[in-house]
Amino acid sequence: MKANEEVVLLQVPASAEYIDLVRLTLYGLAVKIGFSYEEIEDMKVAVSEACNNAVLYAYGDLPHGSTASAPDVAPRIEIRFIKQADALSIVVKDDGRSFDAAAAARKAQPATGKSVEELQAGGLGLYLMQALMDQVEVNSEAGTEVVLTKRLVRSGELA
Amino acid sequence: MKQTDKLILRTENKEGKCTVYVGGELDLESAAQMRAAMSPLVELSDRELTINLRDLRYVDSTGIGIIVSVLKARHANNAPFAVEAIPPNIRKLFDMTGITPFLLKQQA
Repeated sequence: MKANEEVVLLQVPASAEYIDLVRLTLYGLAVKIGFSYEEIEDMKVAVSEACNNAVLYAYGDLPHGSTASAPDVAPRIEIRFIKQADALSIVVKDDGRSFDAAAAARKAQPATGKSVEELQAGGLGLYLMQALMDQVEVNSEAGTEVVLTKRLVRSGELA
Repeated sequence: MKQTDKLILRTENKEGKCTVYVGGELDLESAAQMRAAMSPLVELSDRELTINLRDLRYVDSTGIGIIVSVLKARHANNAPFAVEAIPPNIRKLFDMTGITPFLLKQQA
């Protein structure tokens, strides 16, 4: 960690009912940092999508109450909010089964121009993350780590 | 799935038209509640089905997926379907995913 970074750490059970808590935490922090309402809305969706993936795919088919790396530990998600001088990075990490990020990235696309028959009801999560954040990085070694970054454009400064 | 008050659903039936008012947060947690509410209505091909999102504060890809599923099912049955009163923050996500043109009521 660099000297000018400040970190807020949150750990929640890997369960859908805790994802709104992650959003609330993000909201509080992003307001404090000075992001706009629209930027905060973007980040809320992106972070929730990363958490959704952890809940659905990382632990989805493992026996209840176990993780891939430590079978006796209840599944959980760690969210690290890293405030830098000119950006906020949110690291969403799980200890579950890694997912094929490269394959998912190839599939991540909008539905533009397709017919109703061709629309996909799933697979929008990663696409939304990419569309809503300035940078999205997926590391899958032990579990999956998604790093979402939004740059802070200060008001009065030209974008 | 336990019932939550984060998603508020109200269905209004009148004169061959069924409108579902969706409020609160439609996400992974509340998705099952939404699916359960929509599934009997999707089958009613003889009436117009509308989802009104005026009071929806938040939607994620799970919620968008449900709306796309409803759209596809209605389209397959050749049954009328539209989404109305889409708040700007939600409209932005619909635009990004490219589904907006399929959701708006076709002008007669």
